[in-house]
This record gives sequence, structure tokens and C-alpha cells, in this order.
Amino acid sequence: MSLRLVRIDDRLIHGQVVAGWLRALGARRIVIVDEATARDEFMREVLTLAAPQGVPVEVCGVADGAVRLIELAATPEPVMVLARMPRTVLALRHAGVPIDVVDLGGMGAGPGRRRLHKTISVSSDELRELRELEQMGTRVEIQIVADDRPIAFRSIDTGN
Amino acid sequence: MRSFRIVIAGHGTLPAAVLATAELICGRIPDLTAVGLEPTETPDHYADSLRAAIGRDHRPVLVFADLLGGTPFNVASAIARRSPRVVCVAGVNLAMVVEAALSDAALDDDLIERLVEVGRSGIVETERHRARRVS
Repeated sequence: MSLRLVRIDDRLIHGQVVAGWLRALGARRIVIVDEATARDEFMREVLTLAAPQGVPVEVCGVADGAVRLIELAATPEPVMVLARMPRTVLALRHAGVPIDVVDLGGMGAGPGRRRLHKTISVSSDELRELRELEQMGTRVEIQIVADDRPIAFRSIDTGN
Repeated sequence: MRSFRIVIAGHGTLPAAVLATAELICGRIPDLTAVGLEPTETPDHYADSLRAAIGRDHRPVLVFADLLGGTPFNVASAIARRSPRVVCVAGVNLAMVVEAALSDAALDDDLIERLVEVGRSGIVETERHRARRVS
């Protein structure tokens, strides 16, 4: 089990991820799973540039991402996985990717979105998806930067 | 009259502050815009803002980014790679912005080299600078 961190962050790779998480995790590879980004050559270039030198970035859709992650999870190489939304992680889980913990790292506010904690806001659909992940045995935690103490989603989900 | 547009791209309030401070030195600077990346902003949203500041006409644009490898720089360089009229220089400082703002040259290799040199030569440690000045 080498998927060191599966993180939901709508910014995908940015300063917090590069400066804090990669070092904290010792991850040497980033796998982004996102359908829209996989189809967007411009964003693929921006995100590849955002990783430090020597840290390869792979951008996958959900189907090929699941295959790749199952393969990587069986190797000792530490990998950081990034997705933009809970739906993607749920789809990976349904496809059999072993994910013990999913970290909510950045989910923007907006109309129809409820603030859970600091920079973490969710829609009602996302809330349902996060609960489903928990039911499937994947722990959902909020940890924005590596130095933060993780907060269990379960402890702040009021259930409505 | 400067032939090119200038955009300062960077994190948070830095671009706006560099713009305001450059105007403190030079007076009002036309065709200079600042595009700051908010902490929670997504890179694709930032790319839209930066494209809007760059404009859709054919005018050359010089983008100064604050940090090599940061999201504003990464987005700007991906835009520049696809658009020959856009040039991106990382590591912005006030000396470069003032020099570019007051320039009436074309945005070509010579000007870019001069701006990079102006930016670099303004980074000195005082004792070494003094020793060079008095020797």
C-alpha cells in the first residue's frame, strides 16, 4: 500500500502541495486523476511545470487512473494522488483502488456549497459522496497543510 | 509611447502592490495590469484572468511573474509557449518594472536581456556594493 496520500484539492498541484506535502510524505511521484484535466493539454502542461524537478506528474482519467493506481499501490514507490472532487475518489474506490484515507485539502466555496471547515466547502452531492466513501471503509479527513492535525470528517458532519 | 502591454502575475496582493509602488515612482503607468492569484483560486480560473489581462488583440505583452515555478509563472509560461506575442520573465522586481514601464523600445530579445540584467544588477549586498563603488 504505497498511495501515501489521496487528496481532494480543486487547485491540484500548488505551493502547499509542493512545499509541504511532498516533503512530509517522501512522495516522488504525483498522479492526478481528473477527466477534464486529462483532456486539457494546457492544464496538463501547467500542472507538470508545478511539480519539483525529478517528481513526475501523470494525469489520468478515472478509468486509466484506476488501473494505474492499482498497479502503483502494489509497488513500494511512495505516490501522491490528487483529485478535484469526491466523485472521482469514489469512482476509484468502486474500481477497486485501495484507499484507506482521503484528505480534503481544498474545496472552494460558492453558491449551493456549505462550509465544513476553513477552505473546505461541499455541495450536498459531495457530502453524500464523502459519506459513501466512509461507508466503504475509506476514512475522510480534513488536513489542509501537512503540519495541521487531521480532523475526522465524521466528527464535523452533522448528518443533514 | 510603449509598444507593448505589461502584466504583473503573482501570488496574493504582490502584483497590485508592485503596480502601485511602480506608479509611486513613475506616475501613472498606462497599459500595466496586475493579476494576483488568490490562495484558494484554481489554476484554470487564474489562467482565464491572465488571458483577459493579456488581451485578445495582436499587441505584444510582457508578463512579469513573481516566482519561478509558482502557479502564476507556470500559467504565464504555458500561455507564452502558445502565443509568440507573449513573453514571460520570472523573478519580478521593482527595478525591472520601472525600466519596462518607461521603455519605448520594441519587445524583442535585446529588451528582454536588458530587463533581466537590470533586475539582476539591482540585487546586491551593501558591503560588496560599497567596495565596488569606491574602488
